[in-house]
Amino acid sequence: MRELIEHLTPRYSLGAPVFQRPGLTFVDVKRDKLRALLLDLRDKHGFTHLVLLTAVDWLEEGRFQLTYLLNNRAADQTLGLRLYLDRANPMGDTIHDIWPTAATYQRELREMFGIAFPGSPRVDEEFILEGWTDMPPYRRDFDTLAYSQQTFVERGGRETHEPRATMKHKLYPEG
Amino acid sequence: MGSLRDVLSPFTAWKHVIETPVTLKNPIGREAADRYRGFHQNDTEKCIGCGSCETICQNAAIDMVPVDDPKEGDSGLRPQIDYGRCCWCALCVDVCMTGSLTMSNEYTWVDTDPDAFRFIPGVDEKPWDAIAKGYQRPGERMLSGLTRPEMMEMEPEARIDNFDEIVAGYSREQAVLEADRCVECGLCVATCPVHMDIPDYIAAIREGDYDLGTQILYETNPFSEVCGRVCTHKCETVCAAQYEGEPIAIRWLKRHIIDNVSEERRLEIVGTPQVLPTGRKVAIVGAGPAGLTTAYDLARQGHAVTVYEAQDHAGGMMRYGIPEYRLPYDALDRDIAVIRAQGVEIKTGVRIGSDITLAQLKADNDAVVLGIGLHMGRSTRVPGSDAPGVEAAIDLLRRITAGEEVPVPKKVAVIGGGNVAMDIARSMARLQKQKYGAVGVTVTALEDFAHFLADKEEVTESIEEGIEILDARGPQEMVTFKSGKRKGEVKGLRTWKVISIFDDQGRFAPQYDEADEIVHEAEMVVEAIGQMADVSLLGDELTEALQWNRGRIAVDADGHTSEPWLWAGGDSVHGPDVIHAVADGHKLAASVSAMLAAKAEVAK
Amino acid sequence: MFSFQPDRSQYPDIGPDGKFEIDLETGKFLKLWQGPNHPGITGNMSVELTVNGDEVVEGKTHVGYLHRGFEKLMERRTFIQVFPIVCRVCVPEPDFNEYCYAAAVEELAGIETPEKAKWIRALILEMGRFNSYMMSIGGIGGALGNGIVGQWLTYVRDLMLDRFEELTGARIYHMFILPGGVRAGLPEGFEGRMEEVLATAERYLDDTEKLLFTNAVFKKRTKGVGYIDPALFESYGVTGPNARAGGVAKDVRKDSPYLVYDQLDFDVPVEHDSDIWARATVRYRDLRVTIDLLRQILAKMPKTGEVMTSLPNVLHWKIPRGETYIKGESSRGEYGYYLVTDGSGYPRRVNVRGPSYTHAMALLEHLIPGTNIADVAALMVSLHTYPPEIER
Repeated sequence: MRELIEHLTPRYSLGAPVFQRPGLTFVDVKRDKLRALLLDLRDKHGFTHLVLLTAVDWLEEGRFQLTYLLNNRAADQTLGLRLYLDRANPMGDTIHDIWPTAATYQRELREMFGIAFPGSPRVDEEFILEGWTDMPPYRRDFDTLAYSQQTFVERGGRETHEPRATMKHKLYPEG
Repeated sequence: MGSLRDVLSPFTAWKHVIETPVTLKNPIGREAADRYRGFHQNDTEKCIGCGSCETICQNAAIDMVPVDDPKEGDSGLRPQIDYGRCCWCALCVDVCMTGSLTMSNEYTWVDTDPDAFRFIPGVDEKPWDAIAKGYQRPGERMLSGLTRPEMMEMEPEARIDNFDEIVAGYSREQAVLEADRCVECGLCVATCPVHMDIPDYIAAIREGDYDLGTQILYETNPFSEVCGRVCTHKCETVCAAQYEGEPIAIRWLKRHIIDNVSEERRLEIVGTPQVLPTGRKVAIVGAGPAGLTTAYDLARQGHAVTVYEAQDHAGGMMRYGIPEYRLPYDALDRDIAVIRAQGVEIKTGVRIGSDITLAQLKADNDAVVLGIGLHMGRSTRVPGSDAPGVEAAIDLLRRITAGEEVPVPKKVAVIGGGNVAMDIARSMARLQKQKYGAVGVTVTALEDFAHFLADKEEVTESIEEGIEILDARGPQEMVTFKSGKRKGEVKGLRTWKVISIFDDQGRFAPQYDEADEIVHEAEMVVEAIGQMADVSLLGDELTEALQWNRGRIAVDADGHTSEPWLWAGGDSVHGPDVIHAVADGHKLAASVSAMLAAKAEVAK
Repeated sequence: MFSFQPDRSQYPDIGPDGKFEIDLETGKFLKLWQGPNHPGITGNMSVELTVNGDEVVEGKTHVGYLHRGFEKLMERRTFIQVFPIVCRVCVPEPDFNEYCYAAAVEELAGIETPEKAKWIRALILEMGRFNSYMMSIGGIGGALGNGIVGQWLTYVRDLMLDRFEELTGARIYHMFILPGGVRAGLPEGFEGRMEEVLATAERYLDDTEKLLFTNAVFKKRTKGVGYIDPALFESYGVTGPNARAGGVAKDVRKDSPYLVYDQLDFDVPVEHDSDIWARATVRYRDLRVTIDLLRQILAKMPKTGEVMTSLPNVLHWKIPRGETYIKGESSRGEYGYYLVTDGSGYPRRVNVRGPSYTHAMALLEHLIPGTNIADVAALMVSLHTYPPEIER
């Protein structure tokens, strides 16, 4: 794996690799090199299996991480390509023509994270959510607890007590 | 496609027609497996209401609800479970600190009232309360650590001929491991006499934020460096971690915070009084933990505080009672430096009653606080106890600290089984080792080892250092030379075996086995059976005027004596303990401060 | 045998690209919903079919009926609190969630799993596979009108649930594989009771073979139907039995051995026709392998040893920033957890890769056009999908 990464790094200006364990490596890639790199990996280096495509919201850093996880079965190697997108205007490039199944992932990312993939088939169709009007719910700033409190009624009759405060209240209220 | 076999073969399925159906006729009432996770059971006697079950519940199914009044180490709360939310994962059982929470293997229950499915296991009676089967933690608790990291200590050989500090203190790694074990239930806070925010400063250690930790310590305790070493740590006796494993080493963690903040940084964090001077004056007699804590609090409120100390250095019993190997003087000095930085003036070498009268203090100040401690040793009053060579432990300890010459004979006997007895035994052992290269100290305690008063580690360390400790021995006589040059001087201690210490009514009335007599050879016998306050400074008039309570000055809950200008607190009022004295100090300061505020109000 | 050719004279014209132009206004097309109530037995999912005569011209998969936002819920829970909810991502075979999550946490937190716990984990996973295959084969039978097989195999599955119950303390959501190991060792006499279940299973499987796999009707309905071109496997992310039915011996247990699979002796069954028959047969054969593996695991498992590592205090357990992907071979193919941590006490992101995600979405939609309405259920069931792992 190290040789492959060394070979690919200058060609695709990859970032510093993380060798997570034998058989699993992560590396950063730039958006303009992604497509060529994916094709190279698929066609020349045996990474024919798109394991998954998903996003990580680094809210504090103002960016989304797209993770393209590819697998070379014969070599038992998995490579995670990390691509960072500006969180303010997240726009990815569709790869459904390389792996048709990517269209599903891209549709989900559009719905759950609000990341656009222009040209991806049916990317704007509802996938899991129906009639959703709030912000894309898998973004970190979507507060599920607040949403549920606004949307659903709490069943009454519940009240909890904190041990420390209870003891203070009863045993040494003045202290 | 298809053969005759493919047409005929399926008909073999008809053979099942004559088989007995496998369906259970009545599945309700089928008993679940032995480890099935069914409805909860809680042994409410064992449960301490720490709330770890509530904390771990991922679905907010558990509320802690009051079922009893809180007491030491028990919040009186018990978990109430909402089975509308429970997912039966049993993490609450796994995390339970006492092992009180378990699950029965009962899983069927029908009720038309949905609210019935919210109840307090063990309190609200249920048919499955007595079922033994069901999920229990298979082994010991796995979701938090059971044991303390081992504290680095000087080996006995290395420590016995000097007064260097024995305990090294935790490293960062050790402290983080130990701090990690805390479940933050806070049951310890109520037990701590000053109610230190223990879980909060332990959390600060985990976060590596020692500045915050120091700040939290100083909110309740200006003697954190001292207490980090010698506190009686009552908090650890109620720690939730002790039921399966060792209690959190709260005292060592407190010390770890202070160890990691420089003296300068500590002064920056604590700061100086941020209020205008009030112009009020308070005199404090005795620079021990009670007096200095009072001084610290009052000074931070802008009052002018002067502390009068009879000895040459401030610190009281912390300096003159506790040996240096347990509490180095510079550690104490750093705590005192922070108090001085608040503008507290400490006048040492001034004995009230002789150098300045109490009446004078009364005249010059708005209030006077007594924190005079217990500096007079009690005597056994057995025959010979006034002979030369019989010493009071507390007096001897003071002289060792002050650097005075003390006699160091080859053989020393100590009477007493408390921490003071251990302190003097170990101090004398060190001096003997320095002088003769050998230890010759025998401690005779009234109590047997099962009821020993001294801390366990004190006893262990004493024995490691070569001190002989004999339990259940009652002193009968100081044996003296009957003739010769040393006539009248002590040459030994005669003891009898103790059968019982208290009578049926619980009164002190020791019974002895007179046949089991030992004469312990000793040229010095040290009495370490308790101390009392030297109240001679009060003078006859005031002694007469004050109310007394069994030999101690009577005070109200705030430390106010029967005289409106006089407060008293600390060991002399509540018995020997640093952290209690600190607690007293806060109480005294609050009371004095309230009086001063009322005065200011009247002046307007 | 019968051969029926439909009258296609009334059909709309086929466009130059070989496809129909779907215009509902022409009255020549009909929208049909298959689902969401258990089309076959695969769970709550539906396929929006556009049919022309009895021929399906377009299918769109609709999911979301079970969506609870598990991945998001996990971000709001501490690492230990995630443990009870992961299993809910896949009802019939929940243990892969527990295993993958636990292994991912262990890797990022640097925790060792005791050897015996690895064996028990493998045992649990094979028990889950056993149950999942029982449901799948029963479901294929059911979807093709042979409900008795479904009943038999559901009975056998129930016997295995009894073993789950005595081992893990629960029947469906076992919540047994904790980060750090497993909750307990085997109960007394477990091996014997397991052997009884396996023997019963073999008896019923023999009958199933006679009723289902030696059955002219079943063969007629499945052979040559629902063909997946193996050339599509990589582009559509096809894994597991669906790939093995098309001649590709993909199996994570062999390709990238985890737990104790490198110490077990087994072959991966492969078929070549890539149709419904081949997929059903591959599962049937693999189920036999699973039974053998269960016996092997029980025989080879260390009899003594710890099953759980003491964890740091889970109430404030933080894991340094990092990411990893843990996978295993579920009954439906590659199951994986992508876990991202950020140094806090909560996961930054958990992404579940369920094999159904690719099988029931892009692949199914690709396969449906041109099939007969009557075959859609069989096709779906033959892909063996569990919808909750699609929508999570």
